[in-house]
Parts: sequence; structure tokens; C-alpha cells
Amino acid sequence: MSYTLRGRLESRLAASILPFLATCALSLGLGAWWPLELAGAMIGAGLALDVGLYHRLLPYQPAWAALPLGLLELTATIALVRLFDVAAPLEPALWFFFGSWVLAQVLAHACWPLARLTYAEDGGELGRGGLGLFVLAPAALVVVLGTAIATQPPTVRLTAGVHQGPIVIRTSQVLQGEKGAIVRGGIVIRASDVTIRDVAVVGGEYGFDVEHADNVRLERVSVSDAKLDGIHARRSSVTVRECRIDSVGNRWAQGIDISFSFDKHPSRVTACTIVGGMEGIVTHFTMARIDGNHVSRTALRAISMTEMSMGEISDNEVWDALGIGIFCNDMSMCDVDGNVVVATRPDRASGDTARIGYGVLSSYHAEVELGDNELRANPVPVGTVADAHVVRK
Amino acid sequence: MADVTIVGGGLAGFIAYQTLRRGGLEPGAIAVFDPDPDPVATWRPRAEAIRQARMRSESDGHCYPASFPGLAPREAMRRGDLTPLAQTVCNRYRPTVREFLRHVDELRERSRWDESVLPSRVATVSPVEGGFELDGARFRHVLLAPGHPGLSLPSELGDDTRVVHAYEPHAYASRVAIVGAGMAAATEWLNALDAGAEVVSVRRREPLRRPLNLPRPLFSKRGLRRFHATPPAERAALLAELSAPSYPPGRAWDEPVERAAEEGRFRVAASVNGEEEVICATGFQRGYVHDPLLRRLASELGVATSGRWLVLAPDSTVPALTDETRTLAVAGVQAQWAYPASDTLAGMKYAARRFVRRVKACRTR
Repeated sequence: MSYTLRGRLESRLAASILPFLATCALSLGLGAWWPLELAGAMIGAGLALDVGLYHRLLPYQPAWAALPLGLLELTATIALVRLFDVAAPLEPALWFFFGSWVLAQVLAHACWPLARLTYAEDGGELGRGGLGLFVLAPAALVVVLGTAIATQPPTVRLTAGVHQGPIVIRTSQVLQGEKGAIVRGGIVIRASDVTIRDVAVVGGEYGFDVEHADNVRLERVSVSDAKLDGIHARRSSVTVRECRIDSVGNRWAQGIDISFSFDKHPSRVTACTIVGGMEGIVTHFTMARIDGNHVSRTALRAISMTEMSMGEISDNEVWDALGIGIFCNDMSMCDVDGNVVVATRPDRASGDTARIGYGVLSSYHAEVELGDNELRANPVPVGTVADAHVVRK
Repeated sequence: MADVTIVGGGLAGFIAYQTLRRGGLEPGAIAVFDPDPDPVATWRPRAEAIRQARMRSESDGHCYPASFPGLAPREAMRRGDLTPLAQTVCNRYRPTVREFLRHVDELRERSRWDESVLPSRVATVSPVEGGFELDGARFRHVLLAPGHPGLSLPSELGDDTRVVHAYEPHAYASRVAIVGAGMAAATEWLNALDAGAEVVSVRRREPLRRPLNLPRPLFSKRGLRRFHATPPAERAALLAELSAPSYPPGRAWDEPVERAAEEGRFRVAASVNGEEEVICATGFQRGYVHDPLLRRLASELGVATSGRWLVLAPDSTVPALTDETRTLAVAGVQAQWAYPASDTLAGMKYAARRFVRRVKACRTR
């Protein structure tokens, strides 16, 4: 079919009505925004490709092209979901996309030509109904954005200076630190939908202690001198972005520990700098993405995914770790790609043969899918122990 | 009395009828003028004459008023096999001529086509208040679907007893000259070679090789907007260029000819010489002037023309004779001014759908 630009947009918007309404219902039912955000990413990616690419490159679009174009749109949607950190679980999101795609095909090839005989000749335009969509779409956008803004949690400002903690957060909120805002003794989070930005924590057992909370975001926070973990999350889904955790001198501390959250939305740790301590970033029984971090001078392991965790360890820099740089253990499945692991030191004092300076180690029935990593000056670049596997991409 | 009529009961008229029926008109509300009630009475022998086994193009290649479901999904359902669907998705579904004819027969019966057919040929269309008079009968909305005006033969071969047109029934002599360089000529080269004949291709120029379909954007608003905005002289030149004889590139066409040339069974000549049989694959007479009814419209009623084309509105109506209360529209090959591919089934539907839209929107109906 030879679409006009208007025809492409009208057909796209018309095919989006049902998925959009479905995600509205789902968002209301779940009390979460991710279904709508997902639909927004899908529709937005489609419209952008319509205008920017398809209209110019495809004066005629054969029916078979729907398949490669669908894959392209899926890729673009995933990119947007990642870019905006949409908290959508992968499998339902893929099913949603697939269902929407099938619906669009059925509409374009069967329903519209039946309902409107001149559909193909009109280049996919839907007449007056199509024009109505151009009015309806911005209205729907305004309603959704308005609702989103109206239901935003309140913002609490933390003034510059030292505040004695621990601060305990029991309601959804944005805690925005002013420049120089410091909390002594840690921050305890016991509510979902909490965002904390630009706050430095000094001391405490845990810098941030998150438990039974979903959609917690810690952005541009720092922790120093915590006794145990810089960030400690249990049964929670958290996104940690641009953090700094300093555990130098504390041999038993962990930078970030996210555990026992496998049934939660995947957590993410990105663009953080972690220095010192026992483990830099560790997950137990959790789905996570650990990317773009800088971890150095750890005493046990720099980055660990263990106890049936699952996820991606990508584009991190690991320097000067003792014993093991990146560790995938205990039936976990780890996609290890694009990392730089340099100068891991052998831990001879431990007497443990599994700590002889591995850049990447897969252990105890774990499976590492190994991509293109830069592994330099490690006594053993890649190794497996105890029935574990490494599969090269 | 019907207030909607179709002049011409060939495929274009048949498709218009199906579209009107889907638009809610009963057979009694539609009159179809044609001496032969069989909608493929002209098309069938021509397809047989050139041994056409499969439909050439599948773009909307059926007579149903809606594009979906076409022949491919129906065949897939009937056979319980997804192959026709996969083929149509890849633009590779080409039903056999036999299947197409069966489809026409089924549709003819189901739509009660024969109830609407009046076995006569209309000689004149005259505008009257709120409609048109056709040989004494009055109608508000008229669709002219006269089809090709006739077969074209080179004048210098008119009296030659060896001559047969490619679209007329014929066998192949042992040595045949095939005149022309388009799709029918290329088909006849292969037919004659298949029949064991020695072939002389008589042509004035090298064949033009291009896809069978017109550029696809010309099938939809995307290309039609620009086409409709083109000045008349330029548009006529474009139509002439688009309708120049051609056949598609591809090994299926080239290999048999090359093989025969190597064996000395195929050669090119500038004129007919001593061959036993001369097959003129020279297509149809072109232009409204060869159709008596259309010629009268132009000469007596002053309907606008440009070159060999009737000047039509984008919705395939005759602007000077169409208003809120009446419609005079043209479908089929003579409607190229509105839709360059008007001689295809898709083109016939284009005119039919717009005609039905006007009929249904007419305040006086």
C-alpha cells in the first residue's frame, strides 16, 4: 500500500486506541504508571518512525514489510523504555507490543478495507474519523500528563547543612537535597514511589536502607563511612543513578546490596562510583541491570550476581579488585558485555583457589553469556568453577 | 424504475454493480445495459486466445467490492492451507484464470446480476433536468463502462489474409511473424515457441522493459494528488508514457527467447515478410474517439478532452455533466484521466467506489 503521511498517522493512531485504553485500565488496576508509559513509548516510537523514516523511504509498503518494520519499532520502543527507565516487566511488555502489532495488522489489512472501501486508495486515511483522531490524541495526552502531574508525590526540600538522622520515610515523596545537604546516620525508606536526589549520607549502619518498597529512585546521592552497606535494599525495586559510595578503610562494608527481589520489577544501578569495601555491587535472588559503573579496590569481589539472580552487567569499569572482578554465582544467569576489568589481584592470603585473580568468574552452576569485554592484567581473565558455564556470544 | 444505470456489462460494469449492491442498492434499482449478460464475455476469449493461465497482477485482483477478503484468504480458508496468504503478503499470489472466472460466475449468481442486465447497446446519452436520457429511458446516475473500443491492427496489414490478432482465437503455424513489442507480444513469442513454431518478432523499436504495474503511488492518494494537479498537456504526456507497450524484466521472459535465438528459431525483423501466419499483438484501439458513445459526448455535448483522453474530475466523473442531483461517471480504460491504472481491476473499483459514494450522497435519492 502507498500511504500518505496523514494516512500513516491516522492508521497508527486508530490502531493505538485499544492498546491505549487497555493500558489506562491496567494502570488504574495496578496503581502504576508503567503500562501507560510503555504504551506512550510504543506509540511515540511508531509516530516518530512514520514521520522521520517510513514516509520518506517507503513510497510503497508491501504487506511483508510489516514484519521488519515491526521489529524496528520494537527496538525503538525498547530503546525509549530504557532511556526513560520505564519500570515495565519484560515479558508482559513484549506480549503487549506483540498484541498491539497484530491488532494493527488486522485493522490495516482487514478491518479498515472492509469498513471503508477506499481505505487503500486514500493512502490509509480514515476520512472525518481520522481527523477526529488528530484532536483526540492530544486531548488524551493532556489528560494523561495532567493526571500524572496531579498525582505526583510531594517534594520535600532538604536544606543545606548537616541533618541528624536517621531520617525515616514512610510516604511517597521526592526528597530533594539542596547543595550541601548532608544526613548523618542514614536514611530509612519504607514506602514505594520515593525519589531522593542530591543528598549526601555520612555514617549509619546503612547509608540508605530500603525495605518492601517499589519504584525507589536514588539519584546523585553519596554515602561515606557506612558501617555495613552504602545502599541496602531488601524485597524492593530500586534505581540508583550517579551515586558515589566510599567504603575505603572498611573491609566489611558493601557498596550496594540489592537482595531477595526476584518477583519485583528489575532494579538498576547505573553510573555509580564505588570505592573500597568488601563487595562493590551485589545482588542476591534479584533481577538487575548493572551498567556504566566504576568499581575499584574491593576486598572480596567488585560486582556480583548470585543466588539465582538474573541480569546484565555491562559497560562497567572494574579496577584493582582483590580476588575476583565480576562474579556470577549459584545458578545465576549473567549477561556480561562491554566491561573493562583491569588489574584484578590474586588473593593468596585466602588460600581459596577460586580467588586467584579472575577477571570474570562463573561459579556453581551459574551461566555467563560473555560478550566483548576488555580484560587486562588479570591473572586469569575468565574462569569457571563448580559446574558453571561461560558461553561466548 | 431504476435511477442508477451502468452502460457496459464487462468487468468494469460488473465491479461497479457489485459495489452498488454492497452500498445497499437492490438489483431492481440498478440497470445494466449490455447485449451480453456474461460479464467476462469479452475478456474470457481474449485470455484464452493468448493462453493466459494465471492472472497477471494480484493488486485487488478480484471483483469483490471490498479489498478484503480477496481470493487469497478465501482460498486459504477453503484449502486449509496458509500458502496463498503467505504468497499474497509477498505480492506473489496469482490465481489461475480458471479460478478467477469461477469467482466471477459465483459473484454473478450471488449478486443477482442477470436481473439487472438489459440486453441492449446504448447509443446516446443526453443530459436532461436532474438526470440523463439513454435511448429514451431516464436515469439520475449513469456510469459509462464501455471497455476497450476494439482491437488495433496496423493499417498496412488490414487486407492481409494471414493476419490474426493476438486476442482472437488462433493456432500457431510453423513459421509466424508476431507484430508488437508489449506484454501480449512477449506472451505470444513464448506461446509460439512452445508450440514449436519459428518466430519472427516484427517491431519498430526495442521492447520497453518495466514492471507490469504502474508506479505504486499512482494507485493511491499519495501519487494521485500530484497526478491530478498536473497541467493537462503534461498529464496527457505522462499517460501516453505510462501506456507505452512494455513487458516486465525477468529470466522467465528472456531465457526461452535467448535459447530459441541460439537454435535459430527466433529473430527480429523490421517488417513482415513471407511468414505463414502474422499475429498482431498490437493491443487495442486507443482513445475515446474510437468509442461511438464517447465520441458523441465530446462532439455533441462538448465534454472536454485532452489528446485521446476524456477530461474527468479526480472522482472519475464528467465535470460538466455532474452536479448535486445527477452523476455522469466513467469507469474502465476510458477513465485514465482520473486514475492512470483505470484498466485494472483496482482501477475499476476506484471509479465504482466514488460513483457509489455520489449515488448514496445524492439528496434526491
